[in-house]
This record gives sequence, structure tokens and C-alpha cells, in this order.
Amino acid sequence: MKRGILFILITVFSGGIFAQGKTVIPDKKMVTVAAGSYNPFFITKSDQPIKVKAVKMDETAVTNVEFLEFVKANPQWQRSKVNRLFADASYLKHWESDLVIGKKNENIYHSPVVQVSWFAAQAYARWKNKRLPTIAEWELAAKAPPKNIKYTSLTEYILGWYKKPNLPVLPNVKSTYQNQYGLYDMHGLVWEWTFNFNSFISNGDSRGNTQEEIKAFCAAGSVNVSDRDDYAGYLRFSYRGSLKGNFCIANLGFRCATDI
Amino acid sequence: MAIVLFGCSDTAKKSAFEGDMIKHATAPVGTIPSESIYMLRDTFSTQDNQQVALTHFTGKPTVLGMIFTNCNYACPRLTADIKSIKEKLGENGEDVNYVLVTFDTERDTPAQLKKYAESIDLDKNWTLLHGNEESVRTLSVLLNLQFEKDAEGNFSHSNLISVLDKEGILKFQKEGLEANHEMTITTIKEIINK
Repeated sequence: MKRGILFILITVFSGGIFAQGKTVIPDKKMVTVAAGSYNPFFITKSDQPIKVKAVKMDETAVTNVEFLEFVKANPQWQRSKVNRLFADASYLKHWESDLVIGKKNENIYHSPVVQVSWFAAQAYARWKNKRLPTIAEWELAAKAPPKNIKYTSLTEYILGWYKKPNLPVLPNVKSTYQNQYGLYDMHGLVWEWTFNFNSFISNGDSRGNTQEEIKAFCAAGSVNVSDRDDYAGYLRFSYRGSLKGNFCIANLGFRCATDI
Repeated sequence: MAIVLFGCSDTAKKSAFEGDMIKHATAPVGTIPSESIYMLRDTFSTQDNQQVALTHFTGKPTVLGMIFTNCNYACPRLTADIKSIKEKLGENGEDVNYVLVTFDTERDTPAQLKKYAESIDLDKNWTLLHGNEESVRTLSVLLNLQFEKDAEGNFSHSNLISVLDKEGILKFQKEGLEANHEMTITTIKEIINK
């Protein structure tokens, strides 16, 4: 029994302190996404396209090993210590323990970290002196065409991915495609948190036409769809609308951004 | 804000709420329940330009709405709804904090909030709060409230009135304008008499 405890202590320490010295994680490469304009999927009559400033974005989603560094440095974000207000019970459930991703999970060390809440993603970004991209920034960046794969239409590519069930093992970052800005896996690997995911949403098919809904949402009476063909955009819009800040979901990760 | 941090590296920049979560984990005095909205410890400015954290409202129930003062349609009604809740509470109405947090981090300065409060006769029980973009967004996420800024600098937003208990735990929410606030009032009375 004592031996067992000693073994656990050694494991914890080697995972918690010694490994920190050994694992050197290089600073994540960021790429510039040029300024542009973004048409929200649902727009109100008065809306013009949103002007988006140029921004720097992580070239890939944050990985499990990168997130491990964060929870080591910020104990309040460890799985057993996190406040339920900020992360639900699925938070980092795929890890072996608080500070161990796990031997059996070796193949996901460099996969996007998932089952992290918006609050956790926010805290990580702050810790890195970065922030989460806004929906407009993310969508503008994700619209850029792939440069290293063959495809006929990006929408078809995205819908093809949405249709597929989650893979039992989440592939590593950089395993799908790189777009013209140099960003990897904007579609095809995981969904990603955005700073303002809880933006205005109209309720389903009725689109705020009932008196009740007009009363529930300021400016909800005049909602239009900006691009009826962008079904993939619609799916992302609805997906974001279904999230709460403490949700931790198996196919939802994040990447960070900074102002230029 | 002076906060002692563990494992703090040179590059680490902590948001107020993240830092204070550590503070609360280690400081036994004045502990806030973990499910309290007041775990968000960012600082806001009042209409009198006082810097306050949400814990400022501890000790009384709080009725909270999010608005912006340039709003022509919904926000005046939302504010009127809260006023009418206060009236219906009668004497109990004085034992409650009424808090309006603005979405408009740019235009709604403390001075503008002061002007707004005076123009619609909000009394001493009302606090209007201005925060930075991240604090306001985080509060909206905690309250499950949607909002978005449009190209003209106005906001689409849910019209939501929230009731927090004396420790900042979310007890009740009612969506919509000119809604039936019977339950809102019952909840507030229960909190006062607890």
C-alpha cells in the first residue's frame, strides 16, 4: 500500500514538475488574417457588413499538451478543482487525471484539446496574453480557400465533414488542410469557441416573427438571412446558439488570436 | 488588484476573475459560494465613477438587467419593468439592489449612465455599471444572455431580468418585455425573508 502511494507521488511529481522542465513547447506560430468584411448569417435590415480588422491567429487549435501547461500553472483550472459554474462535468474528461493526459492517450497529445469550456478557453487565452477570436474574425479567416488539398467547393467540403460521425481518436492538428492565410484545420477537425459565441440569435424557423419573440429580443423583428446557400454557415450559427459558457463538448476546441 | 498567484510566470496575465478564484480558494474570509455570479470579480464603474466588484451587492437580493442607453425600443421598457417590480414590492422594494449593466462599453461612460439615471428618475437603490468588453461579455455568458453589436454601434440583445440572492446566486430569470413578473416578485420576497 505504501509503495502504491509512493508510486502515485512519483507519478504526480514527475508529471507535475519534472516533466515541465523536459517538455519544451515552442511558442505557437501565429499568422496574419487580412482585414475584410463579414456578413453575419442572420442580419437585421439596418445591418451593414461588419468590418473586420486584420488580426493574428494561432495557426492551429490549442493542443492537449499545450493545455496541460496551462492547468499546471493554474491549479484552479485542474479537472478536480474547477468551478462548475465555469466548466461542466465533462471538462477534460478524456484525460487520465488532473495533470496527466495519459499513456493510452499518447496519440492525442498533439490533437486539439476538446471538452474545454468557454471560460477555460478565455482563461487560457489571457494566460498567453492573447484572446479568443470574435465570430466575425473566425468566420472571415475560415472562409479562405484551402491551398494544399483538392476540392471543388469549400461548402461541400465542410458539409462532408459535418456529416461524418466523430472519429474515435481525434487526429492531430495540421491533419486536414492549410488555407491561404496559413491557418490549419479551420474546418475538418473540431468546432471552435469564439469570444462572442453568445451573440444575438433568432429562435429557429419563426425568426422572431411572433409578438413574444419581438418582445424578447431587441431588433428581432426584422431578421433576414444573408446567404441562403451557406448551409454550413447556418449550422455553425445554430451550433453556437445552442452552447452555454460552461459546456465541455467532445468536438469543441479553440485557438487564440491577438490584435496587430 | 493585488492577488497572490501560484505558478505565475512572467508571461502570465490573469483576468480578474481567474485571479480571484485562486484568492477565494485560499482565503477563508468572506467566502462566496462557488455557484455565485459574484465569482466574476472584474471591476465595474458605477454612474458615480466608483470602482466596484459585483460583491458590492452582497447582502441584499439583486435585480439585474443588461441594457444600453441609446436603445430606443426595448431598454426603456426593460427599465420600466424593473421599476414596476420595485413598486409592486412595496416596502420590500427598498431592500433590493437594482442593477443595470450596459452593453455599450464605448458610449455609456459613467457620466452618460449618470445622465441617463437622472433623466428617468432612478433613485439611490439603482446602480448603473460600465465595464470593459471582456467583463461585460463574461457576465452575459454567466447569465445566458445573448447580445451582439451591429455595424452602427447599437446592440441586438435578449431582454432578460435576473434575480440574484444575497450571495449572488442566480435564482430566477424572466425573458421578455412587459412580462408577467409575479414569480419574479415572489422570488425576491422569499430571498428577503430568508
